[in-house]
Amino acid sequence: MATLSAAPPRRRTRRPGARLRRRNTFIGWTFILPNFIGFATLTLVPVLILFYLGFTSWNAFGAAEWVGLANYERLLNDRTFHRVLFNTLYYAAFHIPLTLGAALGLALLLNRKMRGVAFFRTVAFFPYITSIVAIAVVWNMLFSAETGPINQFLGLFGFDDLPGWTVSTTWAMPAVIIVGTWREMGYFMLLFLAGLQTVPTELHEAARVDGASSWQRFLNVTLPCLRPTTFFVTVMLTIESFKILDLILVMTNGGPGISTTVLAQYVFRKGFQENDFGYASAVALVLFFICISVTVVQFLANKRRER
Amino acid sequence: MKRKIMSTAAAIAAAALVLSACGGDSDDSGTTNGNGDASGGDDAAPVTITFAGWSLATTPEFETLVEAFEAENEDITVEIVEYADGDDYDTQMITDLAGGTAPDVYPLKNLNHFFTYQDGGQLVDVSDVAAELGEEVSGVDAYVIDGATYAVPYRQDAWFIYYNMDLFEAAGVDQPDGSWTWDDYADAAEALTEGLAGTETPATGAYQHSWQSTLQGFATAQSPGADFLSGDWEYFVPYYERVLEMQDNGSLVSYSTVTTNSLSYQAQFGTQQAAMTVMGSWYIATLLAEQDSGDADDFAWGIAPAPQYDSSTTDQPVTFGDPTGLGINSAVEGDELEAAKRFVAFAAGEQAGEALAGIGITPAASTEAVTEAFFNLEGMPMDDLSQFAFSTHDVRPENTVDANNAALQNILGDAHSSIMSGSESPQDGIDEAMRRASDEVNN
Repeated sequence: MATLSAAPPRRRTRRPGARLRRRNTFIGWTFILPNFIGFATLTLVPVLILFYLGFTSWNAFGAAEWVGLANYERLLNDRTFHRVLFNTLYYAAFHIPLTLGAALGLALLLNRKMRGVAFFRTVAFFPYITSIVAIAVVWNMLFSAETGPINQFLGLFGFDDLPGWTVSTTWAMPAVIIVGTWREMGYFMLLFLAGLQTVPTELHEAARVDGASSWQRFLNVTLPCLRPTTFFVTVMLTIESFKILDLILVMTNGGPGISTTVLAQYVFRKGFQENDFGYASAVALVLFFICISVTVVQFLANKRRER
Repeated sequence: MKRKIMSTAAAIAAAALVLSACGGDSDDSGTTNGNGDASGGDDAAPVTITFAGWSLATTPEFETLVEAFEAENEDITVEIVEYADGDDYDTQMITDLAGGTAPDVYPLKNLNHFFTYQDGGQLVDVSDVAAELGEEVSGVDAYVIDGATYAVPYRQDAWFIYYNMDLFEAAGVDQPDGSWTWDDYADAAEALTEGLAGTETPATGAYQHSWQSTLQGFATAQSPGADFLSGDWEYFVPYYERVLEMQDNGSLVSYSTVTTNSLSYQAQFGTQQAAMTVMGSWYIATLLAEQDSGDADDFAWGIAPAPQYDSSTTDQPVTFGDPTGLGINSAVEGDELEAAKRFVAFAAGEQAGEALAGIGITPAASTEAVTEAFFNLEGMPMDDLSQFAFSTHDVRPENTVDANNAALQNILGDAHSSIMSGSESPQDGIDEAMRRASDEVNN
């Protein structure tokens, strides 16, 4: 939208106004349109249809039958849905702070001048661009309760009751969170690294002259300067965490039992496996409203702090 | 883009449905020029029909069917439209059917989605074709809804025991004789594991793949009075208790190892890590091909009837397996409809059966000629028990044709992973599944 307002008339003519404004509007639209058409056909229209489908019963053929709030009543009483919702919140509650911390830590570590920094940055970014199926296969082997290196390592320290990881209802979710954090921290590290470049060195120097310790400088100089980046990262991370699907699908497929089934997977199950697209749309809408309300809250909080 | 808050799976679904309306169209045979020349100077007007198939490079059965059919019916041309394999096939087919761009004839991979298609009014009533089929074609009943038949099977898989004769000999254990119950199977697995422990190839007695079918398919087919749709699933408990015991005494690789190490049944049996396994008939063709290419070891093997619930059914062993059928798109009419009916009738018959057997596929038509064609494949075991197992059995469908089938199977899938991983006892796991079935599905 910035294009529209930020294009002042370059030349003053005797007939300012209508024609020029129309031309500028037209140019503005031609900039936006290619992207907007794609967005509208592939995202906007389907999402609007989704809102409608959430109030219907539809099995993909014929017309969808309007059922009003029946799907939402069903959600209220669906204990599996409650468990799935809990699992999603569980994942988000741990994955967001862990990834945020790990990404920031890595960024600070790799923002120094040291030998081979480019190499280490690449290494940290590697998980993010690796095929998720390969990641799942390798981590599943590492987590193997009987033969996996992780449990063998833990065994060295004399732990007796070793976790079953992906085949235990208690430990499967922590296992998925660990892999999710490991996979995504590289990407967010990159964003933080970019943010760190914008922290003015003068401020650090001034703080040092004032006798601030490195921890004080981090707290009072680096963090406040990073706030726009942190905000962006938190929003992205939150949305990603709530709509986690691929990693869980390939690592545990929601199991054992339904201990790692999350909302997005439940949508997939109800829609594509059970052909209950109406109910699936209702679940998708819940996911949508969770994402959007968390994001709005974050925006408001950020705005308040900015004042 | 990471920014799209709204890109949930359901949104993609709706997008696919919207867009399918402007997708490519291939079923309008009236505009297809050039095909008419192929049939030469026939009196009948040449007709072209389209036929869906998946992953043609690795699934030769569709081309085999079409070639055999065209050789007999010169006035009809069948064009194959390729689809992706797996769950994608049904998703794409549903999309194409809803958008009106689906082929004239399409395969029904399993009975679960058959219901979706039939219930959605996407299948032509082919009762007249089914009435003409002989006794030898099995699996037709699975496609009957309210007295009308909506598809015709061309392929009927069934589950057997695959066993490694060399390992049985090395362990000094008697080979299957066709009379095994599940307890005999478990005993043999234990004896094999002990017998092989000291040898150069310490294989486990048996291998059970992680699928819920490997246990639940048999339990539903064999247990007396089992009624899958009722959600009364007590009958699964003894099957689970037995298999957990087999895991505990080491005659099976544990479920957790199978899943965490992504073991494949082809590698486990093919490279002699296990002396026997229960698996579907499609594995015969795979095993032959892998022994030929060297991916599997060279050893003597055979198939035996699936273990039974008790000894009362050993004359006609009860096993399970869904038929694979062909349905006709309800949008087809006129000459194309007649041609499509001739094609599906042909696919179910003995002639197509022999052609399919020749490439290692188990056809729906089970006759002596078909069995002979099958056992003529290079590398096939020639013993009597293998032939008996292949030709004589009572196959019950794995899926029930019902709106609730998919939801119930999903609930049981959850129970399977939680019981097999040891997270819950068989009784607790099944109790929980039964509670969910009555709360969420059969309410």
